[in-house]
Amino acid sequence: MMKQGIPRLLCLVAGIVMIVQFFIPHPISEKIFSESLRWVRIISAFALVLGVRSITVHHGTRIIRKSSGWGYSLVALVAMVVTAVIGLFGGVDPHATALLPTSIGGFSFHLQVLYANLMVPLGATMFSILAFYMASAAYRSFRARNKEATVLLVAAFIVMIGMVPIGSAIWPKLPDIAQWLLNVPSMAAKRGILFGIALGSVATSLKIILGIERGWLGGGK
Amino acid sequence: MKIGEILGKIDRRIVFGFMAIVVIVPFFFPLNVTGKVAPPSQQLFDAVEEIQPDSKPLLISIDFDPQSMPELYPMLKAILRHAFSRNVRVCMMALWVTGVGLGEAALNEVAPEYGKVHGKDYVYLGWKPGFAAVVLGMGKSIPETFPTDQYGTPLESIPMMRGVKNFRDIPYAISISAGDPGALTLWIPYVQSRFGQKLGTGMTAVSAADAYPYLQSGQLTGLLGGMKGAAEYEHLVAEAGYSEASKPATQAMDSQSMAHLAIILLIVLGNIGFILTKGRK
Repeated sequence: MMKQGIPRLLCLVAGIVMIVQFFIPHPISEKIFSESLRWVRIISAFALVLGVRSITVHHGTRIIRKSSGWGYSLVALVAMVVTAVIGLFGGVDPHATALLPTSIGGFSFHLQVLYANLMVPLGATMFSILAFYMASAAYRSFRARNKEATVLLVAAFIVMIGMVPIGSAIWPKLPDIAQWLLNVPSMAAKRGILFGIALGSVATSLKIILGIERGWLGGGK
Repeated sequence: MKIGEILGKIDRRIVFGFMAIVVIVPFFFPLNVTGKVAPPSQQLFDAVEEIQPDSKPLLISIDFDPQSMPELYPMLKAILRHAFSRNVRVCMMALWVTGVGLGEAALNEVAPEYGKVHGKDYVYLGWKPGFAAVVLGMGKSIPETFPTDQYGTPLESIPMMRGVKNFRDIPYAISISAGDPGALTLWIPYVQSRFGQKLGTGMTAVSAADAYPYLQSGQLTGLLGGMKGAAEYEHLVAEAGYSEASKPATQAMDSQSMAHLAIILLIVLGNIGFILTKGRK
């Protein structure tokens, strides 16, 4: 009872208070809103601590058990610790003096240097290989098997060519047709989906606030 | 093997190799094809154009990370060049912790081109945890949400931030967004709807279609969609005489054009193979 009752009561009170304060522009409700935002920011900061703990436990366990690919876990943990130490003690401003020096002679290992030379190329590489997988997947799976798939195929061709400069070189009207496809049929479908999502969100929120939906408490099968 | 089977089962390595050639070659032999500027890109340009110089700052939020850098980083630089060339002050922040360095790099690169000084012409607020709480808090008080900038300088001691209390003091905000948190999930529902903030966005091409309903409803004033949007903005900035810097998105559009044509060709070949083998079966 205590394990589920108190969180549900807190959720009910917080949910109703936040709904009420949204519709009542009174100084007290404004104060409640400001205070709750401060709380959320503090709780969010704690989430970072939980995240660090979770990563450490997950990868630490893999290293201890020598699970398959444990070397990658070691790299992940070392990268996290080194980056955190440099960031915390080396500071974020390369021109300011900090506890930890972030350059030795001409060799710099400042946070921004690490970011620009590791994070940026690694991230860009991950995303850029998508082009190759997408091309291969489109070639293998995009088949005009029936009327609907054929319509989809033709629309995709028009948008793909119309949205790049070469489209207007092929036929000047192509970009306008592509824009029309986005502005009219695509938009109509998206609006319907958005309304559905919005109504679903309201319903789910109410179910959580009123304690009907309890999946967020965990413990279920 | 019959022609239909050959066309329907091209080896993956050939597809990858073909794509690599198609993407790389235009960098050495540019097509120099210029497309039309789409209305949403023009709207964003016009909105930045309307901001008074040496007045309240343009807010730019870095809501992306290095993975979407090729599409979104050129947008960021083009917008910064536009703002700085018109002496529009810039207040930058990040909702993606992995994007903080990109904002810093862009400011370090573009600001010196126009002799702009940190604190006087631009400020970088950095990142704070909390996403929705951060933007909602900024609607109440920016100095309370970000008491210091990215480098620990108290906001009240930064000259250009004096008199900037909340979104009422921000003439225009742009979220350069690669997903969640970003323009569609945070800036429109929490900032535009609640505080009436005039808002524009730059998005990856894959998610730009999702932003069109908000553009039509007027909740978004301007949209840069993918690399094409970035190239269009670069074109507008150069055409207005604001910048003569290199245009990375415009250069990359040749590769993107050829890649789109290559994918279409592959799909057509795959379908010819499919039809031929289906007919035989």
